[in-house]
Amino acid sequence: MNKAADRGAKAPHGSIAPHAEGAVRFDAVTKRFGETTALDGVSVSIRQGEFMTLLGPSGCGKTTLLNLAAGFLGPDSGEILIAGERMNDVPTYQREIGMMFQNYALFPHMNVAGNVAYGLKVRGVSRQERDRRVEAVLALVRLTGFEDRTPRQLSGGQQQRVALARALVINPTVLLLDEPFSALDKNLRASMQVELREIQRKLNVTTIFVTHDQSEALSLSDRVAVMSEGRIRQLGTPEQIYRQPCDRFVASFVGDSNVLRGRLHSIDGTSAVIAVGIARVKVPREPLKDVAVSAAVDLFARPEHLVLTEATQPCATSGTIAAHVYQGGYVDTYIGCSDSLRDRLLVRSGGHETMARWPIGSLVGISIVTGEGVAFA
Amino acid sequence: MPRSTYQRLLGLIGKLAVVLILGFLVLPAVVVTIAAFNDKAILSFPPQAWSWRWFAKAIAYQDFRDGFRNGLIVTAWSSTIALVIGAMFAFALHRYRFRFKKTLEAVLLSPLVIPHFTVGLGFLILAAQIGWNRSYAVVIACHVVLVLPFVLRSVYVSLRNLDQSYERAAASLGASPLRVLVTITLPLLVPGLVSGWLFAAMLSFNEFTASLFVTAQRTQTLPVAMYNYVREFADPSMAALSVMYIAATAALIVFANAYLGLGKVLNIEQSR
Amino acid sequence: MNPQPFLRTFTAPAVLCAFGFLLALAAVLQFSLRAYVPGSLDPGGFTLANFTDLLKPLYARVFFDTVVICFLTAVSTLIVGYPLAYALVRTQSAVIKSILLVIVVTPLFLGEVVRTYSWIIVLGNNGFINSVLLNVGIIRQPIQFMFTTFGVVVALVHVTMPVMVIMLAAGLSHIDRDYQRAAESLGAGPIRVFLTVTLPLSMPGVVAGVTTAFAWTFSAFATPQLIGGGRVNMISNLVYQLGFSSFNFPFAASLCVAGLALTIVVLSALRLVARPLENIGPH
Repeated sequence: MNKAADRGAKAPHGSIAPHAEGAVRFDAVTKRFGETTALDGVSVSIRQGEFMTLLGPSGCGKTTLLNLAAGFLGPDSGEILIAGERMNDVPTYQREIGMMFQNYALFPHMNVAGNVAYGLKVRGVSRQERDRRVEAVLALVRLTGFEDRTPRQLSGGQQQRVALARALVINPTVLLLDEPFSALDKNLRASMQVELREIQRKLNVTTIFVTHDQSEALSLSDRVAVMSEGRIRQLGTPEQIYRQPCDRFVASFVGDSNVLRGRLHSIDGTSAVIAVGIARVKVPREPLKDVAVSAAVDLFARPEHLVLTEATQPCATSGTIAAHVYQGGYVDTYIGCSDSLRDRLLVRSGGHETMARWPIGSLVGISIVTGEGVAFA
Repeated sequence: MPRSTYQRLLGLIGKLAVVLILGFLVLPAVVVTIAAFNDKAILSFPPQAWSWRWFAKAIAYQDFRDGFRNGLIVTAWSSTIALVIGAMFAFALHRYRFRFKKTLEAVLLSPLVIPHFTVGLGFLILAAQIGWNRSYAVVIACHVVLVLPFVLRSVYVSLRNLDQSYERAAASLGASPLRVLVTITLPLLVPGLVSGWLFAAMLSFNEFTASLFVTAQRTQTLPVAMYNYVREFADPSMAALSVMYIAATAALIVFANAYLGLGKVLNIEQSR
Repeated sequence: MNPQPFLRTFTAPAVLCAFGFLLALAAVLQFSLRAYVPGSLDPGGFTLANFTDLLKPLYARVFFDTVVICFLTAVSTLIVGYPLAYALVRTQSAVIKSILLVIVVTPLFLGEVVRTYSWIIVLGNNGFINSVLLNVGIIRQPIQFMFTTFGVVVALVHVTMPVMVIMLAAGLSHIDRDYQRAAESLGAGPIRVFLTVTLPLSMPGVVAGVTTAFAWTFSAFATPQLIGGGRVNMISNLVYQLGFSSFNFPFAASLCVAGLALTIVVLSALRLVARPLENIGPH
């Protein structure tokens, strides 16, 4: 299982080699808290202007890594570099970072203008210049005219934007965001995500974004580092980690997945063929490197890559409809199936005619769209 | 919510008990107020005639005036010194780790359980031995020690309730630790600091036992002056002074409650 | 980078203060071990005579009386203060809560002398209680409250109430209302809910209150001095008399030391008794 960890440390899946100059670079960073190792020799290089997301469940080390970049913590070993300079001994207030906190941390005793201008004041920017830049950044986050409001008078989304403006107005070398949208409701979150991305692209500022929400990571990022237990499991573009997860953890954590029992049928160059029932599914060969033919393997298939068919037709496997969950734009159908590692399969289909066609309790066949899917030993 | 007769009865008994207890608490204040307006010199009930003259006498009485002045001097100095020392130490207590931290905290909090007469005697002897001889300095030093635990507690609670992400945000925006302290931490701590100071000031102004030991004739604070008066005279001047005291203190408390929220300061308020 | 930038600056004054305080305490200790020279303010040579003198029945009696008074006061204050604390915490109306708070807290800031003096007027032979009872005809002679232990305890209870109520209220306010609701939903009546849920969970507050009340009362001086009038003596009064009437400071100092030892013993004993009780409370 160390293959994935090595991958994160040496040649991350789909990224450039870590020796190249990056805006932010972590070199074999380790951090321990007492007995627990929060980060174990993590290396990753983030390019200038890139939107990098650190994705993982709580306790995986993503926030610790962010705090190391910010300077709130110091590493036990390894190096942290920003714009090529070693930051290990540099305190927070001397790093040119901009940070957005989970609870926004807007200074309650200052109004919006005071909050946004704070970093400029610290840097000794003249009053005129300050006012000009505050006005400009407030326009950027579409909060013109809010200068005299206090944080208490703002809605959640507005507080967000002030926090963003405050961090951006100082032209930071790197922008750090600590799960900034977790407190917003779904609709607001979606629109804030789009706005953030637009602004980030416009300013071309290197960004490190921490979240546990994998759909957020997929929609926002240039690259994603999937982390668990202090290590990077996979580093790649959203498409790469979704379609070509390198191990079980990434495959289960990112997106919904089904796990079916199958057999390694044959090997064909860089692909392998997995047999599930009568189905023959093509998967990447890489995760199954050391597996012998006809050995048992587990096939991970996305809900949108499974199709319901008549039970009488030849198919990969079969099962009984347990429930239909209407989601508006699509339907999630849960099927009890003995071939699934979880005893259930999730099939996602577009129309709600699925519900009528396959009532609960009916026997149904499952076929797998080939060419999609990944298998692990 | 629906309540049975039984519950209602219990509730009534409870309310009655509370009213009686409140009556007990308020009785002396009410009685003293009545006595203060008594025209006659002898303390007796009920008063036959009413008059303001004891108030006039109390205000004019030189010992009371001196006591009041001395009290203000001692209180102003000791509360302020205690606030500075206490706030700084509370900060170190809350944020830092250092050797002897627990010991130092215990020593500074010990005046809460050490009788004031012991502290007073100690400072009296100490002053005599180093030649300070009952100047204001001794009294102030003694009061600082006595009042410090309250300031410490008050500021510590405020620090605990302060969200540190504000300070981190300021640091991330480039503010040095000193700047963060001055522009962020202190402004946000003001309610706690003010209530700590107020608490300390009121306790210091009213402190009696230790002051009895460490003050001299010319430095005696108002409580000591009042005590000396009561031992010698029996007229209602003391009652008049007490009434003024009660009125002033009550007004201060009401003000403090309105602006600072006594419930939070005393740690009584909690989310339901 | 320095994670503790202000350490020296912020702890130095506190260290100085602690040092000064310890010097004062040391002064007491030192004097307690020196001989009393009658007619002089300076002490004589080192001796343990002051402590052996304490064993005399006269002084042992004062120690005993002090402990008794402190306990009586602490327990009485607990009983009288609990309903008030309960009401303070459970009231829905903010106005009533404010009124209660002001009434409870104000006496705390009046100082011993004012409060004790007020009680003199209430308890005296010409005072409020006696005048009312005489006028109404319930009694024919004034009841003697002054210079009795009863009078002293009543006044002390009044003095200690604010502190007790505040500590109890703090403890009660930390009890989640849901516990009470759960018990009610399971069929428990109000008295049972109180005895089996509220009271046990309020134990930390009770312990804190009783401990503080005890320590506070032990330190009381004006009340026993003015209402006790020399007939009811606590350790504090004895120390004052020895110091300022006889100028026997060494002996007064030894009383202080013994008193301190007593306080520590009693408070530790209270702690031990309280530990199993405290574990019941919410954490």
